[in-house]
Amino acid sequence: MIQLTEVHKYFGHNHVLKDISLTVQTGEKLVVIGPSGSGKSTLIRCMNLLEKPTSGKVVVDGVEITAHNAPVAKVRQQVAMVFQQFNLYPHKTVLENLTLAPIIVGGVAKEEAEESGMKYLDRVGLRAKANAFPSQLSGGQQQRVAIARALNMRPKIMLFDEPTSALDPEMIQEVLDVMVDLAHEGITMVVVTHEMGFARQVADRVIFMDEGEIVEQGTPEHFFINPNHDRTKLFLSKILR
Amino acid sequence: MVGPFAGFKWLALFANWKVFAEGFLTTLLASSLSLCLALVLGIIFGVLGSTHFKFPKAINRVYVEFIQNTPLVIQVFFLFNGLPHMGIMLPVLAVGVLGVGIYHGAYIAEVIRAGIQSIHRGQMEAALSQGFNYVGAMRYIILPQAARVVLPPLANQAVNLIKNTSVMALIAGGDLMYRADSWSSETLHYGPTYVVVGLLYLSLCFPLANLVRYLEKRAEVSA
Amino acid sequence: MKKVSLIGLVLLLMLSLVLVGCSSTPATTQSKEPADLKAIKDRGVLKVGVKIDVPKFGYKDPKTNQIDGFEIDLARAIAKKILGDEKKIDLQAVTAKTRGPLLDSGEIDLVAATFTITEERKQTYNFSDPYFVDYVGLLVKKDAKIAGLKDLNGKKIGVAQSATSKKAIQEAADKLGIKVEFLEFATYPEIKAALDSGRVQCFSVDKSILFGYLDDSTVILPDNFTSQNYGLASKKGNDALAKLINDTVNEMKSNGELDKLITKWGLK
Ligand SMILES: Nc1ncnc2c1ncn2[C@@H]1O[C@H](COP(=O)(O)OP(=O)(O)OP(=O)(O)O)[C@@H](O)[C@H]1O
Ligand SMILES: [Mg+2]
Repeated sequence: MIQLTEVHKYFGHNHVLKDISLTVQTGEKLVVIGPSGSGKSTLIRCMNLLEKPTSGKVVVDGVEITAHNAPVAKVRQQVAMVFQQFNLYPHKTVLENLTLAPIIVGGVAKEEAEESGMKYLDRVGLRAKANAFPSQLSGGQQQRVAIARALNMRPKIMLFDEPTSALDPEMIQEVLDVMVDLAHEGITMVVVTHEMGFARQVADRVIFMDEGEIVEQGTPEHFFINPNHDRTKLFLSKILR
Repeated sequence: MVGPFAGFKWLALFANWKVFAEGFLTTLLASSLSLCLALVLGIIFGVLGSTHFKFPKAINRVYVEFIQNTPLVIQVFFLFNGLPHMGIMLPVLAVGVLGVGIYHGAYIAEVIRAGIQSIHRGQMEAALSQGFNYVGAMRYIILPQAARVVLPPLANQAVNLIKNTSVMALIAGGDLMYRADSWSSETLHYGPTYVVVGLLYLSLCFPLANLVRYLEKRAEVSA
Repeated sequence: MKKVSLIGLVLLLMLSLVLVGCSSTPATTQSKEPADLKAIKDRGVLKVGVKIDVPKFGYKDPKTNQIDGFEIDLARAIAKKILGDEKKIDLQAVTAKTRGPLLDSGEIDLVAATFTITEERKQTYNFSDPYFVDYVGLLVKKDAKIAGLKDLNGKKIGVAQSATSKKAIQEAADKLGIKVEFLEFATYPEIKAALDSGRVQCFSVDKSILFGYLDDSTVILPDNFTSQNYGLASKKGNDALAKLINDTVNEMKSNGELDKLITKWGLK
C-alpha cells in the first residue's frame, strides 16, 4: 500500500505537485494519465523517493519514507521501477542485469538469483538472450528485460513510468502483453501510460493529472463513457483519436 | 676530440649498470605506489566532485585547484624540507610517493569526475530504485561504466606520473633520474647516460600506452 | 612488438649519426692561426661559463645584476690574451649539470666555475694547471655537537651533484672506519635547505663555497679533506686554446698576478 498525504513538490519556483493525497491499495492496478509536464513522472518518482517531496508524507507498506533517516534503500527493494528509457546496465549481460541487485543488495545466493532470473527471462520470452549485452537487443526486448529485472527483486509494488513511449510502434504490444500478464497476479502496479487499451484491460482505477493536480479519477469505463471535466475530455479526445 | 657519445663513455656506463638498475627499481616502486595512491585519491575526490551536494563538491574543488595550480616541485620540496620543521620526517620514498600520488590524484579526480558525469543519470536512478545505496551504485554501476570512458585519459596520467617521479631526483630520492644526474655529473658522461635513461623510461611508459590501447579496443567490442 | 624494435632501430640510427658526427675531425684551415683561436677572434668575444651562486668566485649581485669574482677576473685575463681587451667576454651562468653539455655544444669556449680537476675528467675535457687549491670542508649546525668527521658516523651528508667531495669524504670515512650516507643535490641552496630541515646533518662541498652559506646557526669544522684543484676547462680538440689558457695561468702564477687576485678576493 502506498499513501501520499498532502504532497507538494517544487523545482525552484515551479510548483509541480500541488497538495496530492492519494492511496494505492495493495494489489491495486492504478493508471496515471495526463498531458506532458503535468507531473506524472514526478508523482510516481515520489513513491520510491527518487524525487523527494518538498513537503507532505509518503508511506509505503507502513514505512514513512519521507521521514528523516528512513530505511529508503530497504523499501526500494520492494518497490521496483521500470523506466521510459529502460536504463539497463550496459556493461552487464542480460542475466547479470537481473541478478546484480538481488545478489548484492538482497543477499540472495548467486545460483538462486540466476535460477529465478532465468525463470523471469523465460516469462518475458527472452531466455535465449541471457548472455547478450543490452546493446544487442531491440528496444522492446530491452524493456522486457527491464521488467524481468524488476521482477527478479520479488517486489510487492511495481512502478512503470511510460514504459512504452520510447518504443517503435511495432514493439509496444510485446511489452504490454508482459504487463497484462503481470497484472493478473496480486502485485500492486502504478503505471504512467497513454495506452488506454491497456488501462481498460487491467486498471482498477485511472487518475487524470493536469498542472500538478489530480483532476479526476475513476474506473476506466468512467473515463471512456462520461468524464466530468472539460480538461479531461480535451485530453482524451487527443489521445483517443 | 672527444664527443659526448665517445665509446669509452658507453663502456663506463655499462660497467656501472647496477647504479641504473637500482634507480630503475626505485622508479618502478615509486611509480606503482604513487599510481595506487593517485587512483584511490582520484576516485574518492572524483566521486565527491560528481555529487550534487555543496560540501563534498567544495572539498573536491579545494583539493583539485590547490594541487593543480601549484608546481609539483614545490609540493615535493615542502614534503621534504617543510614537514621536518613541523616534526614530521618522512622517508624520501614516502615523500616521492605522497608528492606524486597526491599531485596526480588531483588530475585523476578531474578525469573521473568527467567520466562519472558522462554516464546517463538514468543509470544512477535505476541502481537507486533497486535498493543500492549511493556508494554501492557508484561501485557496481557507475564507476565500471565510467572506467571505460576514463581509461585513455587515465593512461595518460599514468604515463605522466611515471615521468614525474623524476622529481625525486631533486630530493636525493635514489630514483632513475637521480642516479642519472649523480653518475653523469660525476663522470661527465652525460651523453650515454641520458640516452639509456630515456630508453628505460620509454620501456616503462610505452607498453603502458599500448596496454591501454588494447583495453580500449576490448571495451569497445563489449560495449 | 614489432613497433618496439622499430623504435629501437631508429634510436640506434640517430645515435650512430651523432657518433659519426662527433668523431670526424673539424677541417683545419690553411692559415697558421689555429681554427679554435681564429673562431674566437672572428667572433670578437670570449664566451665563458661561470658560477653565479658562489660568493668570491663567481657571484651575481642581485642588486646590481653584475657578475663578479675571482674566476671572472681570471676569464678577463684570458680574454685580454686572446683579444687584447679584457672587456670582451660574454659570461654565461653554468651549473655542475650544464657546464659539460655547454662546452660540448660550443655555447661556451671555456669553463671557469670551481671545476675540480680529476683524472677521469681529463679524459673528456682539457684542463689547465690548477689556479686555486681548495679543500673539501664540513658545515654543520652549531647545536648538533659535531666536532669532526668521526661524529658523523651513521649520519647523512648533503653534497652537490658532480662534486668530488663525495669521494673525498668517503675515503676519509673509510679510514676512520665510520659509515656515512650521501644525499646529492643539484644546487647549493637545496643542500642548505636540507641541512636546515634536518634531512642531512652535514653540508659538504669545497670550503670556498661553504663560506657563502655560513650563518649564525652553523659552523665550518676545521677538517680539511683531499685538495681540490680548480682548473679552467675547454673542449677537447680546441688544443691551441687549451695551451694558451694554460700558458696564461702559469704566467700569472710566476709573475704574482694570480696571488694578487687571490688576495684581492680574500681567498687566503
Ligand atoms: N529534475 C527536475 N528539475 C527541474 N524541473 C523538473 C525536473 N523534473 C521535472 N521537472 C519539471 O517538473 C514538471 C513536471 O515534470 P514531469 O516529468 O513530472 O511531467 P510528466 O507529466 O511526467 O511529463 P511527460 O509526459 O513529458 O513525461 C515539468 O515542468 C518539468 O519541467
Ligand atoms: Mg514523464
